[in-house]
Amino acid sequence: MDFLSNFWGNVVLGFSVAGTPFNLLLCFIGVFLGTLIGVLPGIGPMTGVALLIPITFGLKPNAAIILMAGIYYGAMYGGSTTSILVNTPGESSSVVTCLDGYQMAKKGRAGQALAAAAIGSFFAGTFATLMLMLFGPWVAGIALNFGPPEFFSLMVAGLTVVTSLAGRSLVKALFATLFGLAIATMGIDNQSGVPRFVFNNPELMDGLEFLVVAIGLFALCEVFVNMADMKGAVMERLTIKGSLWMSKEDWKRFFPSCIRGTLSGFFVGGIAGAGAAVASFVSYGLEKKASKYRDELGHGAIEGVTGPESANNAAAGGSLIHLLCLGIPGSGTTAIMLGALLMIGLQPGPLLFTQQPEFVWGLIASMYIGNVMLLVLNLPLVGMWVKLLDIPLYLLMLFIIMFSFLGVYTVNNSVQDLFLMVGFGVIGYLMKRLDIPAAPVILGIVLGKLMEEKMRQSLVISDGSLMIFINRPISLFLLLLAIVAISNPYWPQIGRGVRRMFGGAPAV
Amino acid sequence: MKENREERIASIVLIIFSATYLTGAFLIPMPALKQQLGPGGFPIAIGFAMLILACVYAWQQFRGGATAQESEEEIEKRAVIIGAEEKIEKKADLRTMGFILGLMILYAFFFEILGYAISTFLMFMAGVLYLDRRHLVRDGVIAVISSFFLYYVFTILLRVQLPAGPLKFLEY
Repeated sequence: MDFLSNFWGNVVLGFSVAGTPFNLLLCFIGVFLGTLIGVLPGIGPMTGVALLIPITFGLKPNAAIILMAGIYYGAMYGGSTTSILVNTPGESSSVVTCLDGYQMAKKGRAGQALAAAAIGSFFAGTFATLMLMLFGPWVAGIALNFGPPEFFSLMVAGLTVVTSLAGRSLVKALFATLFGLAIATMGIDNQSGVPRFVFNNPELMDGLEFLVVAIGLFALCEVFVNMADMKGAVMERLTIKGSLWMSKEDWKRFFPSCIRGTLSGFFVGGIAGAGAAVASFVSYGLEKKASKYRDELGHGAIEGVTGPESANNAAAGGSLIHLLCLGIPGSGTTAIMLGALLMIGLQPGPLLFTQQPEFVWGLIASMYIGNVMLLVLNLPLVGMWVKLLDIPLYLLMLFIIMFSFLGVYTVNNSVQDLFLMVGFGVIGYLMKRLDIPAAPVILGIVLGKLMEEKMRQSLVISDGSLMIFINRPISLFLLLLAIVAISNPYWPQIGRGVRRMFGGAPAV
Repeated sequence: MKENREERIASIVLIIFSATYLTGAFLIPMPALKQQLGPGGFPIAIGFAMLILACVYAWQQFRGGATAQESEEEIEKRAVIIGAEEKIEKKADLRTMGFILGLMILYAFFFEILGYAISTFLMFMAGVLYLDRRHLVRDGVIAVISSFFLYYVFTILLRVQLPAGPLKFLEY
């Protein structure tokens, strides 16, 4: 009973925070800008959140996170619209939605596809928020017992899991993570006061500003990529014919795939810690196996839209559990959000739930409200969003340049930061050309300082012995998890080797 | 055979970068007070790990031959499953990219000297003139709005400090 009354009290507290007119307005602005970012091609949620961080500077932490979270899941919604109508995913987690969504639109069922995506997203987002409410305090409670060694191992595990899923080549992704950690070591060492990699440059004493790297690697890189190929394909746009409403038959096919997508997405995002893009692919795979209508997939089956769209929203909500309860981001976008919170001066982690309940519960409540707003914003107004695609690419790119400069300059009022940002833009382009993922760099930068601190604290406890990471069961488990994550891509090869040994035919 | 000259160069660059970082990490002065690990320990560990990975990467690129060919398809299949980002087109319009890079550098250089409003307006117009000059009037209006108008929105409404430059007398 105690739990229930506590729970109810928290919910009331949350809605009282999120329900103030100012926070409602911020929530609306957030989901609005998020949808805008999701719809615009070439600006993914990562670029979007990074570019918009500067507007949160003047806000209190709790208002800032409401705005950022709104942008985050707004972008998840918006990405599906262009997938369905233009066959161009607005962001990576909507790539799969193109497969069936565009086919449905071609058959004149664009309205139903959009409805299925929006309602599926709504359902999944609400579910993930509910889970965050139920399990968040519990996960935070467990993490409260963690000492420095456990936290260090947790960060190692978090980094490796995300890294192992980040790109085609594990070596490249790992190198990117380490590159991020290396950048994080720049500046004055907190514990000894010794300057590291400062090059006698006073502006580098505080280390390299995280936003400089994030905006350079994502936003400016995006500009270079688009400029490299200005004469891009002309987009063929489909219009919405007929009603938005789904028929009885549609609903009947909608629910099973929505539930499958939500559960698998939540599992992938909330428990495995992988991002929304992975979740959407897993869900499509699941539909191919489990759906009664699997033969229609790829030819405009409603399951192919509902499943992945539910999954990516459930995963987006799920990865907030990692961010809020453990302080460890599970995806590139949440890493940027963590970086922003650190800039405001808030360290997410297990203490957050007990020390700043109004922050956590305010956020959760605002997510419910935001989900409802998104449903309203996306279904009846879908035509307006599609019009955005009329913005010429070159203008969009000039806007991105402008906002990047504006944002980075406002952090430290430093011109040197602007040059560094341009430098990282070039690095970002080269990385993209070489197929080295950029998200792990951000993860490394955001976690680097804390990781080093926890490692050194652990070694003080153990008087310099590294065995402390192995002697403690939870820490050992987390490190083993990291090893599993790293060796994961080689499993098929190992599996095939084993099967060959036993004489079976190698399965594909 | 996959064209991997770029990757070979990159792998060597990464080795040099890692080695430089590692050297720098070793040169971090140790404080007088003896500490566990000290300020240099963590960077040294990272430096070593980067160097090892860069070498593995180089080995993958220079080994070449049939094994690399075979795994290419596997890698692509995995990439599709986990939803890796799309590979970008290798053929690049270097002239446009060079222009944009130059534009950004000049923009950064003049950002404080000319102030936000003037430098943004010039950047925008230069970009429009180079990239697409068919809608000069419309784009000019957009440039004015996003430079002068936005300057006031940011400095007055959002109270964000932006450089005023020569327009100091217009300052609110």
